Amino acid sequence: MPIFRWGNPLHAFPDLEREMDRWMKNMDLAFEGLRLGRPFPALNVYVTDDEYLITAELPGCDPDGLDIHVVNGELILRGERSLHGSIPEERFRRSERPSGPWERIVSLPERVDEQRIRAEFMNGLLKLHVPKLPATAPRQIKITDLNQPSGSNPV
Amino acid sequence: MSAVMPPSPEDDASNRPESIPPSRWVRTPPIDIFEVDEGLMLRADLPGVTVEGLELQVQDNRLTLLGRVEPPASEAARLLHQEYHEGDFLRSFILSDDVDHERISAKLTQGVLEVLLPRTPRSEPRRISVTVQ
Repeated sequence: MPIFRWGNPLHAFPDLEREMDRWMKNMDLAFEGLRLGRPFPALNVYVTDDEYLITAELPGCDPDGLDIHVVNGELILRGERSLHGSIPEERFRRSERPSGPWERIVSLPERVDEQRIRAEFMNGLLKLHVPKLPATAPRQIKITDLNQPSGSNPV
Repeated sequence: MSAVMPPSPEDDASNRPESIPPSRWVRTPPIDIFEVDEGLMLRADLPGVTVEGLELQVQDNRLTLLGRVEPPASEAARLLHQEYHEGDFLRSFILSDDVDHERISAKLTQGVLEVLLPRTPRSEPRRISVTVQ
């Protein structure tokens, strides 16, 4: 069952993905531009028994400039990464680090406690803790058979 | 630019150091290099790297940066969706002779490493006296 809407087509094949990444890494060394096609920030999602953990790589970002909110079951992350500041463009010999405004939207799974989502930022890594709601006891649903005349009805 | 500036450090994609076991995932961090008054400034994105986990080494004319990253989730956590590989950062550069190796300085702020590669001071022209025998 997909828990997060944005799927990863290679998810079922981590080994293949790893191989692909190895290949991409070698390509990166040859063609640095390819790296720019990756989403920013890159997100990983982990799950434990009681929470989901979303990590985002945001090196050099000011945590005060991060906008994180939850709307209609979606977690919206926004920010802007400005790197160059007052440095004129002609001074750059190499520019590989992504910059500019960015936005990532994550569909939250069912049964999470949106009120208790917690964010930490350390060493350029954002961690979002999304607690799961406790499982409720199963409730049996009674089926009414409409074809059978109920005994309580008068004939 | 002018011939006064040292050329950009060259990427050196040679072997990884023996200190990293082959089982560990190693990534190439993105970098920026720009000119400053003193020489060149190099910035590298190393999210998740602490000062303790960072090794910056100059040997001969090679600058190597190695940032070790602690796993962000507990061992019990299962990876559900992956857009990046957690792993250490490694990249090395060949420095030109114009870089003053002794005065290279670095700082790490919120996962961004900043390395200043100062230019070697130009030596003053020296008159060589010729003695007539």
